[in-house]
Amino acid sequence: MSSPRKIRQQMEEKANQEKASVRLKGLGDSLYVTLDPARPPEQLQKELDRLFTRMKHLAVNARVILDTGEQDSHGDLIEHLGKFLKNTFGVGSVLEPPRKRLVSEEQARRQDMESSWHNYRSDVLMLAGRVRSGQNVTARKHLLIMGDVNPGAVISAGGDILVMGRLRGIAAAGQPDNQDVIILALDFQPTQIQIGGVMAAGLPPSPRKVPEFAYMENGAIVVEDYLDADPFGRLTWPQVR
Amino acid sequence: MIPLTPHLLPLTPYTRCILDGRIIVITSGKGGVGKTTATASIGAALAMEGKRVVVIDMDIGLRNLDVVMGLENRIIYNVVDAVKGKCKIKQAAIKDRRIENLYLIPASQSDNKNVLSPEEMVGFREIISKEFDYVLMDCPAGIERGFENSVAAADEAIVICAPEVSSVRDADRVIGLLYARSITPKLVVNRIVPEMVERGDMLNHSDVVDVLSIELIGLVPMDDQVVVCTNTGMPLVLQKKSLAGEAFRRIALRINGMADLPIEVPQSQSRFWKKLGTRLGLGK
Repeated sequence: MSSPRKIRQQMEEKANQEKASVRLKGLGDSLYVTLDPARPPEQLQKELDRLFTRMKHLAVNARVILDTGEQDSHGDLIEHLGKFLKNTFGVGSVLEPPRKRLVSEEQARRQDMESSWHNYRSDVLMLAGRVRSGQNVTARKHLLIMGDVNPGAVISAGGDILVMGRLRGIAAAGQPDNQDVIILALDFQPTQIQIGGVMAAGLPPSPRKVPEFAYMENGAIVVEDYLDADPFGRLTWPQVR
Repeated sequence: MIPLTPHLLPLTPYTRCILDGRIIVITSGKGGVGKTTATASIGAALAMEGKRVVVIDMDIGLRNLDVVMGLENRIIYNVVDAVKGKCKIKQAAIKDRRIENLYLIPASQSDNKNVLSPEEMVGFREIISKEFDYVLMDCPAGIERGFENSVAAADEAIVICAPEVSSVRDADRVIGLLYARSITPKLVVNRIVPEMVERGDMLNHSDVVDVLSIELIGLVPMDDQVVVCTNTGMPLVLQKKSLAGEAFRRIALRINGMADLPIEVPQSQSRFWKKLGTRLGLGK
């Protein structure tokens, strides 16, 4: 083996190790030092010494933040190195970085419940009134109509369609290719429905006036009593749809 | 009289309605539901109330309002001449001899609907509304040029609908088109056969109103007299025994201000006797 090559390799490795163990950057009015707590304290101290010596008087009275990463705090190490920096270079103060608080799952849920969909920008087109024959209503995502949809009218949406009234026209949900959507109507008598790219026409009229909904199951459109099926009751947690 | 100071009013379509005559288009979308009969009858009934009424046949190329009104052999000028300014309105309007204040402007039989444009009709409206209290326009079936022309000139609309699914569908479409032009139409359900409604073979008028959801101003029963009058050119509203004529008279009264005149639901003769019997303590 050629020895010069081996030596160069070793030197590079060493440089890399040292480079990785302590890094320094300016952050606002402080010096932000990132330490690798896995290294022995002596090595870290030596590296700090090298960096701060180079900075000379710039380190005097500086605010220094020592970051040991996000794992368990290394209070002793930071205290030890802090004392070393204060005594040797006269830095003003040595701090730990502000820790991100760990949030329990329960808290996260509560937060979710209380605030997450306050700020959620709704993607629902909500209309009140009658959609008449020959009229077309198209929604980018979900569509909610408070009123009736007359025969001859066409309503289509990228997401779900909810009709708070009679649905007698054509309803196309999940356009063009989302099959995970529903079409719900309080009185479900559409002339035709489409979910994703699948079409169903000639649905038998329902004898009962109950809210019904259509969804995709195994590539076929199924219509069921909404309250009996309760499709979203099994979701244990409210989700943004 | 309405206490108005005309010079203070801005000239909106609404104030124009008050100051000038009311221009009402009678339409249905579907053909054969009784637009022409309704136009002739409502026009005659309004004229009998002492209003100056003109009925205009907008079905250019397929005129028949003149036949229904029995005025076909007195036609000299027609609506195309009047709109294009080839004649005066007084020359084109044929006066009915039986009912005072009733005039007809017939359609042209030799042209087609494209000879008129909606813009020309808007201009025509300004002229004709000054001369009459009511201008009733008999709109052709369909939603093409003839419909566009009729609606362009109108301030109000009456939609005639028969209690049939196909007629309801077309009326629904027409209502949507009228709303898109800021006209709030009113509904007349025509050709009701009470016996069939009772048997459940015909749509109930409340089903029709449910679907169309606009203001109802009249229910007209099916009546054999309509055929007789249409063929002989007699005004239906002059027939004392005609149920349809009576219904159209009531519609005219409602249009002419008696908004709270109750709407009578056509009932079959048998049901009437049954009711009377129950009231007298007969039957169950």
